[in-house]
Amino acid sequence: MIAVVRKALADLRRRRLQAAVIFLTVFLSMAAGTMAVTLMSQTRDPYQAAFDKQRGAHLQIAYSATTDLQLLAKTPATVGAASSGGPYPVSNIQFKFGDRKFFVDAIGRDNPGGPVEVLNVTSGRWARANDEIVLTRSFAELNKISVGDRVKVVSVAQAPSLTVVGEVVDIDEGSADLSSQRAWVTSATVPALSTPDSAFYLMDYRFAGDPTSAQLQGYIERLRASLPPGSITGSLNYILVRSIFNITNQILTGVLSAFSVFALAATIAIVATLVTGIVISAYREIGIMKAIGFTPTQVVGVFALQIVIPALVACVLGIPVGTLISQPLLANSSHALGLSYEPTFSIGLDVLLLASGVLVVAIAATVPALRAGLLKPIAAIAKAAAPRGTGGRRLRSAAARARLPRPVVLGIGDAFARPLRAALTLITVLLGVATVVVAIGLPRSFLLINNSETGAGNYQVVVNRTGAFADADAMRILNAQPETARVVAVGGKNVTIAGLADPVNTQLFRGDSSRLGYLVIAGRWYSAPGEVIAPAGLLHDAHLKIGDSFTGTADGQPLQFRVVGETYDINNLGHSMFMDIATMASVKPAVEPYRYAVTLVPGADVSAYVRRVSALEPDLLDVHAADNSIIAPVKIIDTVLLVIAAVLALIGVGGVFNTLLLNTRERIQDTATLKALGMSPRQVMVMVAASAGLLALVGGLIAMPVGLSLHHVLNDVISSSAGNDTPPSVYAVFNPLELVLIPLLGVVVAVAAALIPGRWAARTNVVEVLHSE
Amino acid sequence: MSELVRLSDITKVYQGGVTGAVNGVSLTVEEGEFTAVMGPSGSGKSTLLNLIAGLDRPTSGSVSVAGSDLGRMSEAALARFRRDRVGFVFQFFHLLPNLTALENVLIPAQLKSTTSAEASGRELLDQLGIAEVADRYPAKLSGGQQQRVAIARALINKPSLLLADEPTGALDTRSGDQVMELLMELHRSGQTILLVTHDAKLATRYAARVISVLDGKIVDDARLETAERAAADVIRVRGEEARP
Repeated sequence: MIAVVRKALADLRRRRLQAAVIFLTVFLSMAAGTMAVTLMSQTRDPYQAAFDKQRGAHLQIAYSATTDLQLLAKTPATVGAASSGGPYPVSNIQFKFGDRKFFVDAIGRDNPGGPVEVLNVTSGRWARANDEIVLTRSFAELNKISVGDRVKVVSVAQAPSLTVVGEVVDIDEGSADLSSQRAWVTSATVPALSTPDSAFYLMDYRFAGDPTSAQLQGYIERLRASLPPGSITGSLNYILVRSIFNITNQILTGVLSAFSVFALAATIAIVATLVTGIVISAYREIGIMKAIGFTPTQVVGVFALQIVIPALVACVLGIPVGTLISQPLLANSSHALGLSYEPTFSIGLDVLLLASGVLVVAIAATVPALRAGLLKPIAAIAKAAAPRGTGGRRLRSAAARARLPRPVVLGIGDAFARPLRAALTLITVLLGVATVVVAIGLPRSFLLINNSETGAGNYQVVVNRTGAFADADAMRILNAQPETARVVAVGGKNVTIAGLADPVNTQLFRGDSSRLGYLVIAGRWYSAPGEVIAPAGLLHDAHLKIGDSFTGTADGQPLQFRVVGETYDINNLGHSMFMDIATMASVKPAVEPYRYAVTLVPGADVSAYVRRVSALEPDLLDVHAADNSIIAPVKIIDTVLLVIAAVLALIGVGGVFNTLLLNTRERIQDTATLKALGMSPRQVMVMVAASAGLLALVGGLIAMPVGLSLHHVLNDVISSSAGNDTPPSVYAVFNPLELVLIPLLGVVVAVAAALIPGRWAARTNVVEVLHSE
Repeated sequence: MSELVRLSDITKVYQGGVTGAVNGVSLTVEEGEFTAVMGPSGSGKSTLLNLIAGLDRPTSGSVSVAGSDLGRMSEAALARFRRDRVGFVFQFFHLLPNLTALENVLIPAQLKSTTSAEASGRELLDQLGIAEVADRYPAKLSGGQQQRVAIARALINKPSLLLADEPTGALDTRSGDQVMELLMELHRSGQTILLVTHDAKLATRYAARVISVLDGKIVDDARLETAERAAADVIRVRGEEARP
């Protein structure tokens, strides 16, 4: 064993460059893999821990403000809840802080404790007086509002001012950049903040175990049956909240897992190529080893060990690095949940990863090393090296017929001289280029979806109206502005649909909503009252398809709908409907828009428009430029994709580099002969670069359809996890020129990677090489 | 005849050792000469050949071939020099295994970007009696055939100087004789040939001039026709077969 280790270590010192290639590829793939596994294993736990600690509500129901409180008091018994909170009076308010205005649900609650939905006060204290308000920490941080600041409620005529006295973490809502937010005041404060349209009651229910989605639906059905029609106006369950909370990490872990498998496959290909190459070039050495007493197993051990040693070092370093990189994401999760951040990792998991990584590399190295074990000593000594690869003849002939320069022709032939090596190299190139395709495509797809959700390019200004300011007045002001080209007014109302327990949020438009930029996946945008367009999540859960008619109820009044199309909307994970506001004409009280998407005439000054309209109604209208910025989680995913693409591209370059190194070493005698015959150093480099270029070109050309398919699949997975189908335009984010340029860029990178082996070959000492024959 | 090769006080010292070194050698080779450089293994004869071919650079002294000072040339210029002015025949042929015989022959011409060399290549193979193997790969050729292909390759660019390093060293006697007859024929047609061999009989049988090298120095330079010296004299000077 000592002899095997010593020989392996000696070989390792001799093959430092190859050891470096193995170290780098294993390190990168292990770091990416560890990050994926750590995120996957740890993301669910912080939420569950916080949910249990804060005795989170499994179900929260919004009841109409007209519901009898005595009936509400009986609802916990109706559903068999282990504990309950409320009914809390709630008002959807708009308050102003500085120049900005915000909508929040102000919940009247006199203390943060209780048997359910404990609110974790992270800063300041709970509200005690009628002019105090408590905000969520994520909302306060996002909007830079601190304890002690004063906000002015502008949704009621009296416009009372409230002092922010505390910040809390609420387990039942997502972070402020993803979800609508709540605030808390004393229950006595709520009436002063309410208008008839904005008030409702909220009740929290917690059950003995964690109920399933079906059980939750059953509870809502039971509540609905026990109360007058229209009593339930909204609901929120912990499964949805958890999904929204985890969606970023879910997408990240999905993407990371897929690409970790890629990295692993590329690593296996590189290891196999390398070991095969070493064995091929070391026949005489193998023969001598056997002649002096190495057993076949020991010979295999020497070759496998010189790969496993750098791989082991790479694993030992890569696993902690992957764990470290995943920590900011986990810390972010902990912070959003109000938990103190503690480094999250599992020693057991890391050991398992280490063992798996080393095992995979050992297997990838041992299989090709078996050839060394099986060689007959005499034959090995006599041959010195394996017969040189003679593949690639047809390619070379074709290149010669094309009258390409001879060094290029020779290089092209060399690229495929050993078909297995070429195939393994193509795999690494393919994986690298395919990942680059995905890393370029997915952010563009995200941007398209982001633009559709934020109306980028379709409207420039968003105006929110408080209940104290009439819709007609708002429209008059907007239409009076010379830069106003189009106004689409937006309202909302929850609708109950048969078969769906949770009331569905609707977007009600007045004006030409088809020009707001929403993506139509199938069918068409609605064109008449009664027609609706909805995301896949709703259509699927309600068993609806395009062309179906169905009945819903709003405020207890029946409504007829017909599905005319499918759209994309991530709100409530695809559970929403879009329609003309006139569809709700029969609902009383009348539904009015509260938001206005304003399209300006080309060339209009958005800031000047915002300033002027704000100045007209500083308290009652909230006017701001449409925010088209990418939300933070998408930025994180884009960044991670970029890093992964760089990793896989680097591994791909490593694969080409490795193969060129093996090819040039193996063909050193041919190169020396060619130099003796008059091949110039530049021509030698051209020959090596041609090999690299061809491998990269073929790999790249195969990789393009693979990358595009992967982009397609990942879009589907991500859309599906957000309750949607993928809009066709989201797939088509590449222009034809790019489809050509990406593989060509791969060729350029590969040719650059060929410089080192190329220079090495160009500097071949003819005399030394030919005399060593 | 004009001077083709001039070595002036050439010294070549290899790092860490003295074997194969050349020590203060000066010689000239005239155009059209068939010169054999003879000596035992490690005497420095191959080193001399490599210096003349521009494959190696002397530690001191100068090498001039066809009026060009090789010491002043860059690597690329040396490569062009080898391609255009020198043909090289190796002991172990060094044919590229993944090219056919004809493709091997054409390589120097193609490196020179000569596109119309195929006819010349086939003609050469025909002249050397191996036209039928043009499309075969080296592994399918006998040693003699491989060396003929190597000679054709060396001649494709019509070099001023043909260098042959132990061209029969890897061949059986019959094939070796055939190869040497071939070189002789080339010489008769005016080709300047510099042959390196350790075989005294071979050198004296075919070369008109035999330079004996020992320990990196020229110990004898015999022009056989003019000096009218017999092969045995040359052998005696070399100090091998004359020993009792």
